[in-house]
Amino acid sequence: MIEISGLTKRYGDHVVLNNVSEHIRPGEKVAVIGPSGSGKSTLLRCLNLLETPDGGKITFDGTEITDPRCDVNEVRRHMGMVFQHFNLFNNLTILRNITLAPVKLKIKSEEDAKKDALALLARIGLSDKADTYPAMLSGGQKQRVAIVRALAMNPKVMLFDEPTSALDPEMVGEVLDLIREVAREGMTMVIVTHEMGFAREVASRVVFVDEGNIKETGSPRDVFDSPQDARLREFLSKVI
Amino acid sequence: MEQFFDRLSEKLYQSVIYDNRWKMYLEGLSLTLQIAVVAVIIGVVLGIAVAMVKTSAQGSKNPILRFFNVICTAYTTVIRGTPQMIQLLILYGISAIPNGVIACFIGFGINSGAYVSETFRSGIQSVDGGQMEAARSLGLTRWQAMTSVVLPQAVKNVLPAIFNEFIMLIKDTSIAGYIAVNDLTKNTNSIRGRTYDSTSLFIAAGIYLILTYILTQILKRLERRFRKSDRN
Repeated sequence: MIEISGLTKRYGDHVVLNNVSEHIRPGEKVAVIGPSGSGKSTLLRCLNLLETPDGGKITFDGTEITDPRCDVNEVRRHMGMVFQHFNLFNNLTILRNITLAPVKLKIKSEEDAKKDALALLARIGLSDKADTYPAMLSGGQKQRVAIVRALAMNPKVMLFDEPTSALDPEMVGEVLDLIREVAREGMTMVIVTHEMGFAREVASRVVFVDEGNIKETGSPRDVFDSPQDARLREFLSKVI
Repeated sequence: MEQFFDRLSEKLYQSVIYDNRWKMYLEGLSLTLQIAVVAVIIGVVLGIAVAMVKTSAQGSKNPILRFFNVICTAYTTVIRGTPQMIQLLILYGISAIPNGVIACFIGFGINSGAYVSETFRSGIQSVDGGQMEAARSLGLTRWQAMTSVVLPQAVKNVLPAIFNEFIMLIKDTSIAGYIAVNDLTKNTNSIRGRTYDSTSLFIAAGIYLILTYILTQILKRLERRFRKSDRN
C-alpha cells in the first residue's frame, strides 16, 4: 500500500532520514518506535508530505506521491493523520471540526456529513459535545475527536504521530482503546509511539528507527523478546 | 472675573452659535468619521490580502506568489517610509481623483492597509502551525485552510488592534483639509479664520478627545470580553 524507497530528509546539514526503505502492506498495523530525535516522526510526516523529502520515492496505492506533478491534496484525502497535540480547529465546533473537510472537498453533502459526524460522535460517547468548542474538551476527548475527524474522510490508511504523548496519564487509556478498535476493523495504520505495551499488543509489525535509519523490523514478539540490533537492545532496556 | 466670563461667553457664541456655526462642526465630524470608517475597511481588506501573500510566500518557491510578495513588500516599504500627507497630496495632485473625499478614502485606506498588514501578519503567525497542518492533512488546499481555519482565529486575535487603528485614523484624518476636504479640522479652522479667535480649536480638540475616549473605553471592554472567552 505504501512503498518507501531511499527516502532521505535533511534539515540543513543534519540528516534526519538517511536512505530509508520500507513497505507497508494493506491491513498492516505498523508501530514505529525509537529514541527521541531518531527521525520516526519525520518518517511519518513524509508519508503524507507534511515534510517534503529531499530524496527517494514514496508510492501510495500505485501513485508516486513524491512526483512533483502529483496532486498532494488528493493523496491526503485518503490518509488520515492524528497529531500529538490534537490540532482540533479552535474556531469551529466539534461537529464542524469533523464535517469541514468532507463538505469543503465536496465528498459529502452538508447533511450526510453531519449525519456521519453525529454517528461518529455517538460512537465515542461525545454526542453531547457536538456544538461545543475544542477548548471545552479534555485532552483525551480532543484526541478521540481528532481520530474520528480523520475517520470521517474514510481514509485508506491512518497515520498516528505519538497520539498519547501529550495526554495526562489517566486519559491515555480511552485514546488507546479507540485506536485499538479502529485497528480491529482492519484499518491500515502506522503509529509512532512510546507506548511499548500498546505497540506489542496492537501492532502486526514493529519498526525500530534510530539515527535516521530503520535498524530492525519484525513481529512484536521478535523485536521485543529477541532484539538483534545492539541499539535496539539498549533502547528497550531503557524504556521497558 | 465677571469680565472674563463675559468674554468667554462672547467667544463661545461667536464660535458655536452665531451663523449656525455648530453645524460646521457636525458636518465636519460626519465627514471625518466617514473617512475613518471607509479607510479602515479598505485598510483591513488590503491588510489581510498583503498579510496572506507575505505569510504564504515564506519559504515558498511558487514564482507567482513570490512576484506578489515583491509587490506587497514594495507597497508596505514605500507607504510606511513616506509621510502620509505627501501620499495624499500626490494622490490628489495627479488629478486622477479630482474629488478630495474619494482621494481621502483611497489615500487613508492605502496608508492604513500598509500598517494593518503587519498586524494581520503577526496575527496569522500567532495561530499555532498545527492548525494549518491538520487542515492540510485532511486534503484541504492552502487557501481553504487559510480561510476556514487560520484566518478566523487570526482576525479574532487582532480585532482589538484593528479597532485601535480606527481610533488612530480618526485623528490622522485631520490632514484631509490640505486637499480641500471639509473635515472637522478644516471646518474648525475656517471658523477660527472668521472669528479671529482660537476657541473653535479647543472645541474641536474636545470633540476629538471625547470621541477617542469613548471608543477607547469600548475597546477596553471588548478586550476584556475576548480574554474571558479565551479562558474557557
